[in-house]
Amino acid sequence: MEDSLKAIYNAIIDGAADKSAAAVQTALDAGVDPALILNEGMIVAMTEVGKLFEEGEYFVPEMLISAKAMQAGLSILKPRLVKESYKSAGKIIIGTVKGDLHDIGKNLVSMMLEGAAFEIVDLGSDVPPQKFVDAVRENEADFVAMSALLTTTMPNMKTTIEALEEAGLRSKVKVLIGGAPVTSQYAHEIGADGFAPDASRAVALAKSLAAS
Amino acid sequence: MTTEFLDILEMSRTGKTVKKEDWDFEGVVMTTRSLVSKYDIKWDSQEIIPLDDALVDRVFQAALELAETLGVYNVSTSKVIRFSRAEIEEGLQNAPRELVFGEGSDARVLRARKERDTNPPAVWAGNPGVPTPEEIFQPMVMSWMKEPIVDLATCGSLVTYKGHPVVSGEPEEVYATRNELTLLRDGLRKLGRSGMGLLAAQSSVSELGDLCVMNPAFLRPTDAHLVPMLNELMIDRGSLVRAANGKTYGARNASLACVMVGGLAGNAPGAAVVQAASFMLANLVCQADYHLLHPIHIRHVATSTRGVMWVEGVVARAFARNSPAIIVADIFPKSGALTCELLYEVAANAAVISYSGAHLEGVGAADGALPNGTGLEVRWMGEVGHAVTRQGLNAAQVNELVSRLLQRYEPIFSLPEGNPGVRFDQAYNLETLEPVAGWQRMYDEVKQEVRSLGLEV
Repeated sequence: MEDSLKAIYNAIIDGAADKSAAAVQTALDAGVDPALILNEGMIVAMTEVGKLFEEGEYFVPEMLISAKAMQAGLSILKPRLVKESYKSAGKIIIGTVKGDLHDIGKNLVSMMLEGAAFEIVDLGSDVPPQKFVDAVRENEADFVAMSALLTTTMPNMKTTIEALEEAGLRSKVKVLIGGAPVTSQYAHEIGADGFAPDASRAVALAKSLAAS
Repeated sequence: MTTEFLDILEMSRTGKTVKKEDWDFEGVVMTTRSLVSKYDIKWDSQEIIPLDDALVDRVFQAALELAETLGVYNVSTSKVIRFSRAEIEEGLQNAPRELVFGEGSDARVLRARKERDTNPPAVWAGNPGVPTPEEIFQPMVMSWMKEPIVDLATCGSLVTYKGHPVVSGEPEEVYATRNELTLLRDGLRKLGRSGMGLLAAQSSVSELGDLCVMNPAFLRPTDAHLVPMLNELMIDRGSLVRAANGKTYGARNASLACVMVGGLAGNAPGAAVVQAASFMLANLVCQADYHLLHPIHIRHVATSTRGVMWVEGVVARAFARNSPAIIVADIFPKSGALTCELLYEVAANAAVISYSGAHLEGVGAADGALPNGTGLEVRWMGEVGHAVTRQGLNAAQVNELVSRLLQRYEPIFSLPEGNPGVRFDQAYNLETLEPVAGWQRMYDEVKQEVRSLGLEV
């Protein structure tokens, strides 16, 4: 990895927003290809952050601080990313299902997906099925990602999938689900496309579904 | 109390507006990190009960500062409820030190415990909130209600009513919550322990079910119900309704803040600070009569992980040393019925809690995700808690015991499929409400083994 990319990588790993923005500016000024900065500096760094989280080295604060550093760099980089050199990995509508206010897991998944070049439309928590449907339609989304922490709110994942079917949108999106009580068997039962037990594996799942 | 609950409700609608994202990051994450550093709070994963008392006191002071700096976020209105240091301290001073639960000869008095208290912890039996099929609900709760060592009882959440799924906030929640109380009270009657105090309305995830059981035929004024906070330092309209409901009816409000070890608060030191601050603020926003101590591990969930046990111990001691309150600590192990590891996990958890000045509540076996708990490990939880107290073990002795138990169960945290064991009805005879032979044998063997580790259980 060349020095300018290494500086961006280190700034994100260390969660230093100011350094991340400055390092991106320095790389741009030196003529480094913006797509290279994104893919080889920033996305690689966020992948490492996810790995450190999985290994128990990083916790949620460190992930959030790294994500903020990534966003600071991205705000400098975005105007320079030309459409030809930058391709979004896909557009994802994400939220916790109706009745569920527990959003920490959802926020982590959202952050890691953004770090992997997915475009995120975060509907927040306690999201009714119709709001997912409307967001899919308005944003021409590729994915719907739903989270539930409670067994009593899990049925609203199924209700949301049914709402997507009724709206004629189910075949246009891949549906990912997650949350403490959710299992791959449950995902299969309700007709979701996949289940991920944590943020890193949600990224891997989304990438694999995007490629399928 | 000068800070009336109605004033708090007003503040929850008129306080400063803050975006949820900013609350989480600028508020909880950054303030907690700064206070952990300022108060020099560090943890040693090899010393589950820290031998440094000053560290425990610093956790309390950091929590006071956090509670005063941040307050509580009302997620329903996006408003912050702030309190002065004096109001928080007044809440601490007014916290009950002694409460009666239950009625008649089955009633129990719970007191704020001390570190290394000579009085045994109360044994509050059950698996609060664990999703439970209706067909095994009553025999399951009766399996622990019948144990002589048990003082009080609680239960899981009914997932169905007459075969219909219970969905939060829907009418089925009303049926399920009333049915839960009917089955609990009927179970106690059958066992001749009608007066036993309960923590119930567990089938009410929204406030709906909670509202409809505040009636002496269901939840009595000497019983308790949950008033949860959300992660971290947040509350919502539903919980404020629950607090008002319990207060106006007269039932005991049990605050519950399941602070995440590894979550927004960071690792164990930050989680301890946020957990203690949650209790301080719950005195006010939850109108708490007592506190449920139930941190969870972000990856492993279980309360028997090193980090969670450290937090449970430190927080219980922080209050015991600085502002006694009735704290009941949950035991939610990774393992389930018919596994030795369940018994090792329960023993480690119970030893730490009993030493540290909290009462015992559990067991939410299999991470509290499956109905794989029984009365046998509840009996074991009580036996270990009583033995630690009776022997007067000091912190170093408890640490040694816990270290040897950890060696026996810690490998299960790396099992991809967990260690869920079996469902209640595979571990217990539903007619006799006695453990099956294999489960009884396992208990006898582990008991013998733990005796050989020096615990006179």
